[in-house]
Parts: sequence; C-alpha cells; structure tokens
Amino acid sequence: MIDIETALRVLAGAGVEFIVVGGVAARAHGSARLTNDLDVLYRRTPENIQALAAALGTHAPYLRGAPRGLPFRWDVATIERGLNFTLTTSFGDLDLLGEIVGGGGYEALVADSTAIPVFGVEVRCLNLDRLIHVKRAAGRPKDLEVIAELEALLEERDNTRR
Amino acid sequence: MGGLSDRDPTSFEPDPVIEAYKKDIDRTLLRANLERSVEERLRDLMRLQRFADEWRRAAERVFR
Repeated sequence: MIDIETALRVLAGAGVEFIVVGGVAARAHGSARLTNDLDVLYRRTPENIQALAAALGTHAPYLRGAPRGLPFRWDVATIERGLNFTLTTSFGDLDLLGEIVGGGGYEALVADSTAIPVFGVEVRCLNLDRLIHVKRAAGRPKDLEVIAELEALLEERDNTRR
Repeated sequence: MGGLSDRDPTSFEPDPVIEAYKKDIDRTLLRANLERSVEERLRDLMRLQRFADEWRRAAERVFR
C-alpha cells in the first residue's frame, strides 16, 4: 500500500526530478486497476541523487522483502552504486527506477511526460501513449491485460475528444 | 476532465492477444474515470487500496 499523496509531496517538495510511471500513472490516466506501489523514474544526475537521498532520509527507506536488520544505508553512495530500488518507506511501497525496460532513463522519457498539478504539487506523469509503448516493449505476458485496458482507455479518451 | 495530455497520440499495431483481452474490458468504468480529475482518480485508488488491505486482514483473521 502507498499513501500516494504523501509520497508525491515528499518527492516533489524536495525538488526531486521524477516521472510517475507504472500503475499509478495508468490510474492517473483513468485506469480502473488496483496497484499497491508507486513507480517513479528518477533523474540520475548528482544533484537529483542528492535530493532523492535527502527527501527519503527521514521516511525509513528499506529494501522491500529483505530480512530485517541488514546494514542498509539510504544515502548518495547507495543510490550511485545501484539503479532500481524497491523500497518500503513510512508512507508505503515505493519503486525508484533509474531506467525502465522498453523506455530507458529520465532523459529519454521526459519529453513524453506531462507536468500535472496534484495534491498541491506539480508532478510529471508519463503520457498514456508512451506508457502503452513501454509496456508493449517490455513484452511481459502479465502486462497483456494491462495494455488492453490502456489501449481501451486511449480509444475512449479519443472518442470523448472528437 | 483529467488534465493529462499526450504530445503525439499514436495508434498501435493491433495485437491479436491484446485485442482479445480488450473485449472483456469494462468501458463504463473507464468512461466514469475520464470524467474525474487526476486527483480524484488517485484518491479513489488510495480508498481502494485501504479497502483491499482491510479485506485482506479480515480474511487472514477468519481463515488462519
């Protein structure tokens, strides 16, 4: 489970550059599917890594599914050594992605995202057509039903715009 | 309406498996969601998460 409002406020409030992708992005576009975590694609620059380390530092980030008590430190060095992190935090399950399969990194996708005002902050969300492309490119069987819904959503949205 | 736009709406090459799944999509839910703002859609998701979590914990209490 994830308190999306708190998560977005924490990240955006700290000036972290990121794009909401995955199930929450789908939901923002109108999907009816349940998702329990928040996937964000973060920018891999030194400044942004520093902002990300500081933003989550007080929210008890820990590796999701890992045994308790591991010497895990959430800091700049950890983020620099890794790329994608599946975390638990005080506000819920958060996936921090440096790259996504079929899409690449922040720089590759930022032009296909839109800044939206939500919960009092401005957040970038991956556009629906790009979200479909990424899901298709990832080629995971479990995504087929998700892609079907996203494409239906695109058709419905286009119908309402005509 | 939602407030999200796409830079370049694209059509996709039809995939027979995806098309088959598409027949079972409840489009009334999608149309209802498209009438809501992005914030309303995300608040709905959080309510659904809380309900699913409560349901899971109740089931654990009963069936364990």
